[in-house]
Amino acid sequence: MAIWAWLIPSALVLLIALIFIYYYNKFVVQGNRIDNALSQIDVQLKRRADLIPNLIETVKGYAKHEKGIMADVTSARKALLSAKDLPARIKADNQLESALKSIFALAENYPQLRANENFLQLQSELSATEDKIAYSRQYYNDSILDFNNSIKVFPGKFFASLYKVHERPFIKITAQERENVKVKF
Amino acid sequence: MVERISFYDQIGRNKRNSVFLLIAIVLVLMVFGYVIGMIMGPDYFLIVMIASIIISLAYIWFGYYYSDKIAIASANARPADHTRYRQLHNSVESMALASGLPKPRVYIMQNEQINAFATGRDPKNAVICVTTGALEKLNKQELEGVIAHEMAHIANYDIRFLTIVTVLVGMIAILSEIFLRSFWFKSDNNGDNKAQLIFMIIGIALAILAPLVTSLVQLAISRKREYTADATGVKFTRTPSGLASALKKIKDDHAMPNHKVSKAVAPLFISDPFKKKIQNIFSTHPPIDERIKLLERM
Repeated sequence: MAIWAWLIPSALVLLIALIFIYYYNKFVVQGNRIDNALSQIDVQLKRRADLIPNLIETVKGYAKHEKGIMADVTSARKALLSAKDLPARIKADNQLESALKSIFALAENYPQLRANENFLQLQSELSATEDKIAYSRQYYNDSILDFNNSIKVFPGKFFASLYKVHERPFIKITAQERENVKVKF
Repeated sequence: MVERISFYDQIGRNKRNSVFLLIAIVLVLMVFGYVIGMIMGPDYFLIVMIASIIISLAYIWFGYYYSDKIAIASANARPADHTRYRQLHNSVESMALASGLPKPRVYIMQNEQINAFATGRDPKNAVICVTTGALEKLNKQELEGVIAHEMAHIANYDIRFLTIVTVLVGMIAILSEIFLRSFWFKSDNNGDNKAQLIFMIIGIALAILAPLVTSLVQLAISRKREYTADATGVKFTRTPSGLASALKKIKDDHAMPNHKVSKAVAPLFISDPFKKKIQNIFSTHPPIDERIKLLERM
């Protein structure tokens, strides 16, 4: 009798403590997953920016007079590198994407450029990084969905307010971006 | 949301089942050791038991840590060159990003058939292997669908589970063999013949039934897993069309079945490397038409 009298309450206390720890860790793990996903997007954006100077060099050799488009690409790249937060970087990347589309469309007028091994390789690398950016954004949004779900449902909601964990925003695509990118000539 | 939960459930179940299987392997080995020990007589009992414990632990350790290397070696695969197979590497990297897992090592298998498999013990030590036939015959979207399916096997911890199952099946086959041969070395006797006879009968029954039962279990598990991996793969690519059209190509592909592949690793592949036409309880994979139908409904 005496044993049960303190065994049951202490087991309950232990159980409650474990629940508190469980939720704390869950938020930390899911939050870290989001941060990691974010850094993956940055890695891909950086890689894309790094490929640009090479592309400009290659294109210059064949299409000297197309300075306007080249300037567009360079300034989009600069905007991408100097953007402070993710929405700004995503926006800059979209600008870069449309500027790149113009360059690739331009290449149609320069058969020699189109046949250049280096150019073709850069083109496929750039489109591959664009795919990777899309996939890492998708995973980022998946991770945010998980995180937001777990802080919005009960009893997660209670622990979230206790630990002061807040909902995180998805990467949204603006209406303007959702339209097809216009190709300039 | 429902999809999401079942996805994590699947991972949890696979991890739990993996632990159960490991314990089962140890137990089965002990039983075999015990039976062999009893047949050989009390003089050998202790030695046989100790030997069986040591062998089982060593076997499990080796199988667990070297399974990926064994699978790669048995499939005769080599690492995929970064510049030559750039597109393959890009697809694998994309799918790794979509699943949020580290990029697995990429291997190429010289074979006409369209096929691929994943192996390893966890996502950090995983391998994806693709046949040259798949690289030649599939377009980018289809290849990505196939890789997403393999990535799903990795994400769901199917690779660990299948690795352990493969270790178990291989082990039981070896044991049954050893057991049946051990009659030749049986000590002829001191006393208690009746007990020895009973154990001998149990032993023979075990030796015959165990491999059959384990492989049936293995196959049933493996078929179910293919559907789950298809669904998880679609979650990564966000479109079922790539995988569906890859499966159609696999179905219509008339490349020679690959008999070089060891039977033990067959369940790891995306489609049955032996291309058996008849679907039964011995099939490693669910019917391909059924899989395509399900994908098209998503």
